[in-house]
Amino acid sequence: MPAGRPGPAAQSARRPPPLLPLLLLCVLGAPQAGSGADTAVISPQDPTLLIGSSLQATCSVHGDPPGATAEGLYWTLNGHRLPPELSRMLNASTLALALANLNGSRQQSGDNLVCHARDGSILAGSCLYVGLPPEKPFNISCWSKNMKDLTCRWTPGARGETFLHTNYSLKYKLRWYGQDNTCEEYHTVGPHSCHIPKDLALFTPYEIWVEATNRLGSARSDVLTLDILDVVTTDPPPEVHVSRVGGLEDQLSVRWVSPPALKDFLFQAKYQIRYRVEDSVDWKVVDDVSNQTSCRLAGLKPGTVYFVQVRCNPFGIYGSKKAGIWSEWSHPTAASTPRSERPGPGGGACEPRGGEPSSGPVRRELKQFLGWLKKHAYCSNLSFRLYDQWRAWMQKSHKTRNQDEGILSSGRRGAARGKGGPGGWAGRETRAPPGGRRPRALHPQP
Amino acid sequence: MSRREGSLEDPQADSSISPLPHLESKIQQTHSLARLLTKYAEQLLQEYVQHQGDPFGLPGFSPPRLPVADLSAPAPGHAGLPVPERLRLDEAALAALPPLLDVVRRRQAELNPRALRLLRRLEDAARQARALGAAVEAVLAALGAETRGPRPEPNAIAAATVTAGVFPAKVLGLRVCGLYREWVSRTEADLGQLAPGGPA
Repeated sequence: MPAGRPGPAAQSARRPPPLLPLLLLCVLGAPQAGSGADTAVISPQDPTLLIGSSLQATCSVHGDPPGATAEGLYWTLNGHRLPPELSRMLNASTLALALANLNGSRQQSGDNLVCHARDGSILAGSCLYVGLPPEKPFNISCWSKNMKDLTCRWTPGARGETFLHTNYSLKYKLRWYGQDNTCEEYHTVGPHSCHIPKDLALFTPYEIWVEATNRLGSARSDVLTLDILDVVTTDPPPEVHVSRVGGLEDQLSVRWVSPPALKDFLFQAKYQIRYRVEDSVDWKVVDDVSNQTSCRLAGLKPGTVYFVQVRCNPFGIYGSKKAGIWSEWSHPTAASTPRSERPGPGGGACEPRGGEPSSGPVRRELKQFLGWLKKHAYCSNLSFRLYDQWRAWMQKSHKTRNQDEGILSSGRRGAARGKGGPGGWAGRETRAPPGGRRPRALHPQP
Repeated sequence: MSRREGSLEDPQADSSISPLPHLESKIQQTHSLARLLTKYAEQLLQEYVQHQGDPFGLPGFSPPRLPVADLSAPAPGHAGLPVPERLRLDEAALAALPPLLDVVRRRQAELNPRALRLLRRLEDAARQARALGAAVEAVLAALGAETRGPRPEPNAIAAATVTAGVFPAKVLGLRVCGLYREWVSRTEADLGQLAPGGPA
């Protein structure tokens, strides 16, 4: 509701309303005497005003029926009767209204300002459009799923609500030549988005921008320049499977299939994995998956359910140097690590399967040690597989000891027992990791 | 309007009873259609006033009853006329409504461009009015009663464009939606006089 003060001779409509080609009153028959149709006129008709501005309006009675005067007339705005002190009679047939500090329109079809006769009947109406001009749209982002179409979305101007219907138009053109084109399929991925389905060129930059227009003005975004090949994305990797790694309590194996669209475009892909504990909202991200379609998560908590997702980024399309756009995450897949009495550590990196080198610090050092051993100690049987077997054996041994003795062991007996321990390690005392954690870094012996 | 809505079957019909005569079946189907469209017309009216803003949706709102070319509300004496005459008036009104509803829809597309459900309801209403009018015409033909015959195209739409204020446009739309509801409801009542089980 506007402030209820009679204002000085204030500005009326800031700008006359745009002339719209209407096909309307022609469907109305001739007004009949006594019908109440348009027996008065409100001026201005359908003004457009800035929020906070003032309005002077008049309701002039036609004199039908004869002798009709402005005596007893009153105003309502959106169904609410306006205070009488806002009105005054200019003359016998005209009632004036002064509104100050107008609020934004309540509905996009305009606020209903109505002039009533003494008996409450409606004599005339006018719709007020009170709002703000649009601000510059920004944050335009675009992507192409198959290198043939383009979808873009943007953020409307900083203030967002203009209280007026604001039309957004996405425009695009080839950078070096060509005419402006207008996107036609709006709201495809949200209210401020548009989809260009065809007729796009590759290996040549496009200029893309958004124009916002309403009754109070227009604004244009900055221009985004891009090549379709640089904004390619794919569907998430399908067929993501998560499974245990034998009896290893702190590892899970993740496998997936590369998105089918990759086969057609001769480009590589890199992947990211994220995982979280079932009752947590914190995801951990594994970044260094490269172009593998499998990964082993290590350092997990035993006996815990994990949710895992994978996403893909195509790059190197037709020789492009730029990375593509990350796909959406795949649907979550869940699996649980085997149960253990000792809690394991959280966090981890992507571990190798079956003896492949790893980027984890402990395993990296272990790899160096194994390499040194092979070179200097002729232990040709040594490998990560043996190491994993040793760890699984250690965990079983701890369980057995706990059942026998009812206490946790520091693992001193470990492989030195020689019972199923890895070959080449027998007889050497080793310290099993306390609390079932990853083995400590092993220092090479001269 | 889906085809399903235009070809209603009596779900309570017992398959062991012989099929209804063609005329009675036609009347019953058209009556059921009119009943369904009466409900839709009420929903359209509610949707319409919601998007125009107060006072359009307030109780007691009484805008000027602007006369609409080629169409007026059912006369007070309508119910006293013979049924075939009533159906002729119903059919004529239903034929006049679609272009008016189209005009209202185009105007609302400018005033309320994001009111997609309203715009869809207005478009559906025009189609539904045509369908019901055609069904009533078929009933009249089956009764052996004269229909009004070809009528001139409404020249209101072909007339020169006239700039109109937004408030009168809102009022006109309300009037047209109201007339649509009145005539569909009137048609349902008139067909009910002929449907099996109704008064003779």
